Amino acid sequence: MTHQLKDGGQVMHVGMLARVEGEGGMHIEFEDGRVKDVKLNIFEPPRFYEGFLRGRKFTEPPDITARICGICPVAYQSASTEAMEAICGVTTTPEIQLMRRLLYCGEWIESHALHIFMLHAPDFLGYESVLEMAKDHPDVVQMALRLKKAGNDLMTVVGGRAIHPVNVKVGGFYRMPTVAELQRLRPDLERGRDDALAAVALVAGFDFPDMEQDYTYVALRHPDWYPLERGTEVVATSGVRFPVAEIPDHVEEFHVAHSNALHARFDGGTYFVGPLARYTLCFDQLSPATQEAALAAGLGETCRNPFKSIIVRAVELAYAFEEALRIVDGWRDGLAASVPVAPRAGEGVGASEAPRGLIWHRYRISEDGIIEDAQIVPPTSQNQASIEADLRTAAEKWTHLDDHALTHRCEEAIRNYDPCISCATHFLDLRVKRS
Amino acid sequence: MTDKNVLVVGLGSPDRGDDAVGAAVAARLEEMALDRVDVVTREDPTQLVQLWEGHGAALVIDAVMSGRPPGTLHIREVGDAGEPLPTHAFTAAGRGGSHAFGLAGAVELARTLGTLPTHVTVVGVEAGTFDHGPMSPEVEAKLDDAVKTAAAELLELRKELE
Repeated sequence: MTHQLKDGGQVMHVGMLARVEGEGGMHIEFEDGRVKDVKLNIFEPPRFYEGFLRGRKFTEPPDITARICGICPVAYQSASTEAMEAICGVTTTPEIQLMRRLLYCGEWIESHALHIFMLHAPDFLGYESVLEMAKDHPDVVQMALRLKKAGNDLMTVVGGRAIHPVNVKVGGFYRMPTVAELQRLRPDLERGRDDALAAVALVAGFDFPDMEQDYTYVALRHPDWYPLERGTEVVATSGVRFPVAEIPDHVEEFHVAHSNALHARFDGGTYFVGPLARYTLCFDQLSPATQEAALAAGLGETCRNPFKSIIVRAVELAYAFEEALRIVDGWRDGLAASVPVAPRAGEGVGASEAPRGLIWHRYRISEDGIIEDAQIVPPTSQNQASIEADLRTAAEKWTHLDDHALTHRCEEAIRNYDPCISCATHFLDLRVKRS
Repeated sequence: MTDKNVLVVGLGSPDRGDDAVGAAVAARLEEMALDRVDVVTREDPTQLVQLWEGHGAALVIDAVMSGRPPGTLHIREVGDAGEPLPTHAFTAAGRGGSHAFGLAGAVELARTLGTLPTHVTVVGVEAGTFDHGPMSPEVEAKLDDAVKTAAAELLELRKELE
């Protein structure tokens, strides 16, 4: 870290913050010891996917949008297939939905295992990176790699590849995996479930900064199970609930000068999507074992401390393994891999719960299936305002800390969100300015 | 027990321009059907840490960025017999893996966890583009050279295991 004077204030500069995805920065300005301004700057250039989709066929978004992110491609695939099927008035089979859920379990396992252990745990255990952590905690890192591999293997069997699955299409899959292929995954999934349950207890033993936030939580809700690959409605801690198709009536995207990613308001206010929102709004739908693990870890049925998101991710990790086992064990061969989908003119919304939170797509297509309009709203852009709110709270609460400690605490506050600014490069320029 | 085969890993995303070069070179090496050589491709660098376990020698082919002309070849010994890598070496390769966890991270994590083979050679191919789409013509043009270089390194590694 270097300290330099700029504009009469004190600027701390940390180049190359690892453990965050994409190109972003943070600006905190103090005046007379009080926080004057907080900005999460996302300067990674926008990639214009929405414009690129216009004029393409309605069958193309699952492949095209999956390329937006190497960590959560299934989230994009699920939201886009849901949207297209809604527009075309097609309902897939329960088995296709189950297979989508299984694929999504693979993505949650990969993403949560990576974030919990490789990116987030070093903050709590006092290491700069997982490399240093591995020297003192090799067993934990070995476990993390095993968990992640189980997710990769699941994605490979169901999706055809460990990253950017190629087996997904509007209407279902190109090919269903066989019972034999799925059963081969079973021992690793079983071990993964046990590891993940142990991980809940492990991360619950960390020391957590005391901070509670009262933003509106928003998540999908499904009548039968914890939200993952889809939901039938959107629920919020404000008490509102409405069908997925009405999301655009409640969410307004807008541009702010300091970010290349659009911000968003929910019913006019700041909101939060992600593991804490799902957990708080859908605790009742977790399995008995994961509920028990969560309560034993000291979580209530709601969680308002963003630093404890690491425990909630571990709970969700265990749940994903349980769900994967449930689906694998109930699988049969000979099921239809897809249903036919004929285009029809219309507009529709599809949504799923990415590891980082609610993602939704809106498309309008012509009667011959050409995309006329597309809107893609990922979790991190929706969470920008709540990240800024957390930074403001953290900077005010811990303003007495020295620059290094405060900077670190603010970096942690960002990492609580596992922000996925992009998959391209990895710089976060972090500045704290005091005057 | 140490595996007597050399493990070849083509690393990178096949969709992201020159990041596909690792898998392309690995595929050509596989076609040679050399004795005591196993060839795999992977997109996620973290998988190397487990893949390497039990192997005495490994070859990794990956796209790299160092500012040299696209197609330039880099050879680096990074095995357990060598010095640790600089912290950010290779992180600019391809997507650098998820969240900046790239090849260098995998090498150092494997060293710490004791799974890094004694002999690991990285053949890096300087990339011109990581945009979605095919490899650049410059890297395509150097593919034969990359395969020859990688094959020569592979034979050296195989000798190490004799």
